[in-house]
Formats: sequence, structure tokens, C-alpha cells
Amino acid sequence: MSNHYTVDVLTPSRVLVKDLPAESLLVPTESGQINVLENHTHIVTKLTTGQLSVFGSADDPDRFFTITSGVCKVLNDKVVILTQVSEENHEIDLDRAKLSLENAERMLSSESMTDEEVQKYQRKVDRSKLRIQMAGLAKSKK
Amino acid sequence: MANIKDLKKKIKSTKGTLKITSAMKLVSAAKLAKAQLAITSSRPYANELESSIKTISALVQNYSHPYLEETDNKRCVVLVVSSNKGLCAGFNSQLVKEVRNWVGKTDLDPKLYFIGKKVMDVIADEVNVGKKYEFEKADPSFQEITEVGNELAEMFKTGEIGKVFVAYNIFNSAISFTPTIKQLLPMSLDEETKTAVKDEFPFDFKYEPAPADILNELIPQAFVTTLYTSVLDSAAAEHGSRMSAMDSASSNCKEAVRSLSIKMNKLRQAAITTELIEVVSGAESLNG
Repeated sequence: MSNHYTVDVLTPSRVLVKDLPAESLLVPTESGQINVLENHTHIVTKLTTGQLSVFGSADDPDRFFTITSGVCKVLNDKVVILTQVSEENHEIDLDRAKLSLENAERMLSSESMTDEEVQKYQRKVDRSKLRIQMAGLAKSKK
Repeated sequence: MANIKDLKKKIKSTKGTLKITSAMKLVSAAKLAKAQLAITSSRPYANELESSIKTISALVQNYSHPYLEETDNKRCVVLVVSSNKGLCAGFNSQLVKEVRNWVGKTDLDPKLYFIGKKVMDVIADEVNVGKKYEFEKADPSFQEITEVGNELAEMFKTGEIGKVFVAYNIFNSAISFTPTIKQLLPMSLDEETKTAVKDEFPFDFKYEPAPADILNELIPQAFVTTLYTSVLDSAAAEHGSRMSAMDSASSNCKEAVRSLSIKMNKLRQAAITTELIEVVSGAESLNG
């Protein structure tokens, strides 16, 4: 097996990885997770909060990233992920994620909120849960 | 002719200046490193976003977004990004020149908005000044720039203005920058680029969800991101320019101290020689 893709993960404030070799990817899109394998069709798709998994072949390690909203573009052998916020699983600050989950849940349980606020905090809860889950993943691997 | 006392004073004050300029150089070098990191990590995202929008909007038929529409409204806004502090060589003056040229040549009716006061101070009397943005810290955050962007975009959408430009210095390297004026809105493509894109992509992408949905989300993002990268560019260029300005100021100071010291030593030597001659000739006359 060999690497079919090179992956860029870009955010407005930093370049997470550039030209990362990958054999396949799991991408969280709005309409569900997609699996990008060899010879995938050219696609542009919207992303949602979730885990991006990049699987390398034999020598290259698998890598995992958190993703919030953004887009993914697959073109020939190049995959570009543009997202607002992203971090790799071993960078996640578990304590902070737990704290923000608590905060967001407390806000959600209080009443008198506009729909927008509910949405905002719901997204916060989603993000925190994702981070906690992925931080756990990173630890169990060590 | 200057006397020794004056020269001593001069040397002392030049040494003081030297201390200040070399300290400023160090500070700028540290700030430059930070600003350079920020711009180099933000550029790939901005470029990729821009090229994606270009490709998709050229390939997709019958799509339009308010940000893409050309209007014949002559009024426009130029957001001029400069610095709040001076002592950075041509950083501000070159931008002033560029803006002045542009305003002189254009057939539009521009109103100038400002980030940073230096360019405004020079050019305020010559042009139509809109307003000046102030930020909490020296470097505006992404959030603050988003607000600025929203305000300009709102004016564009309501038809109050027909175009939005940004004038800033592009950061090339620590010693080089290019003043430039770039059109942000509308992000229209001319037919040439459209055909070029179509030649490059004989196939279309598969979109999920519909391409219009994707573009609706990307286009406002791209506007703000481009605005933000131009502010980052400008910050990096400012620190780079100040660093090299302070570097040359420091070496000029050193040179001045050296030549002043030589002059002073010559004067001192001359004074000693004159005194010696007086003593010797006095003694001679007694002997005589």
C-alpha cells in the first residue's frame, strides 16, 4: 500500500500540517462522514464539527485532528482542509475542554435564551465533547 | 573651530542615541519574528480560500452573490493600513505616495478610512477622510477586524459604496515591502480568468451541499480573511522596516562617534603640541 494523497490542514491563524502523506482519510462533513480513498472523485464539501482522521501507509503514522466548520477540497492527489479552528489530538488541553463543557452546559440549562444563544452554546458543547473524547484517544495510545 | 569640550559633549549624546537605536532594533527584531510567524501561517489559508472561490465561482453557472456583483456606483472606500508609530524609514511615506498617486489617477470618488494614524496625519488635508479605526491593543485581533469588515461590507451591500479597496504594505522580507492597493469588493472575475480556470479544470467538482451554499459561506469569510492578512502583512512590514532603519541608524551613530573621536584627538594633540612649542621656545630664549 502506498500514500495516495498529500493533505494540508489550514486555519486562519496557523498551518497545522502541509503536504502530509496519507493513504486515506475520514472527513466529517455536514451530510455525514466521508471516507476518501484512492482515486476519489473531485469534491468540495462543507465540514462540520468532528474528527478528521488521516491514515498514513506503513511508515507514516495515523494522525487525528479536531475540525470545526469549514470546507474540504479533494483535487487529484491533493486534499485541502480549510477550517476555522483545528488542533491535533495531542495538543488538546483536557482541563480547558472540561471546563468549557461545564460552562456551556450550565448556560444551556439556564432559561431565557434566544435561539441563537442556544445554538451557540450547543456548538460549544459539541466542540468540548469532541475534544474530551479525542484527548482520551491520544492518552490511551500512549 | 569646535573646541574639545563641545566635541566631548557631542560624542556623549551620540552614544546615547546609539543606545536607543540599538535597543529599538532589538525590540523590533523580536516583534518582527512574531509578526512574521503570524503572516506566514495565515497566508496559505487566505490564498487557498481565494483560489477555491475563484475556481468554484468560475465553474458554477448562474450563481451570484452580492459580493461578486459589479456596480456602476462611483463612490468607494479605501481602507489605508499604516502604523501608529514613526521611525520606520519609508514604511509610511511610500504608502502615502502610492495612495496619493492612486487618488490622483482614479475616476472613482474615494473616501479614505484609516487603521493607524501616520498616513492619515500626512494626507488628511488632501482627501476625503471617512473615519479612523481604533483598537484596544497595538495589533488588532481577528475579532476586531471582522467588525471593521462587517461595517464596510454593510456599506457595500446597501449600495452606499460601489467598491472597497485596501491600501497596505505587503511584507516580502525583513528588509523589503511593497506598498499596494488591492480591490476587496466586489470580488468579480473578468472573462479572461474565467476561461483560464475553465481550461485548467475541464471537469467540475462534486459539491456537497449545493455549490451556492458553499460559496455563500466562503465568500464573506474570504473577505474578512483577506482584510486580516493585509493587516498582518502591514504589521510585519512595519517591524521589518523599523528594524532595518534602526540598524542603519545604529551604524551611522557608530561612524559619527568614530569621526568625532578622531577630530577630538587631533585637537587635543594640537593643543599639546602648541604648549610644548611654547615651553621649548621659552626655555630657548632664556638660554639665548
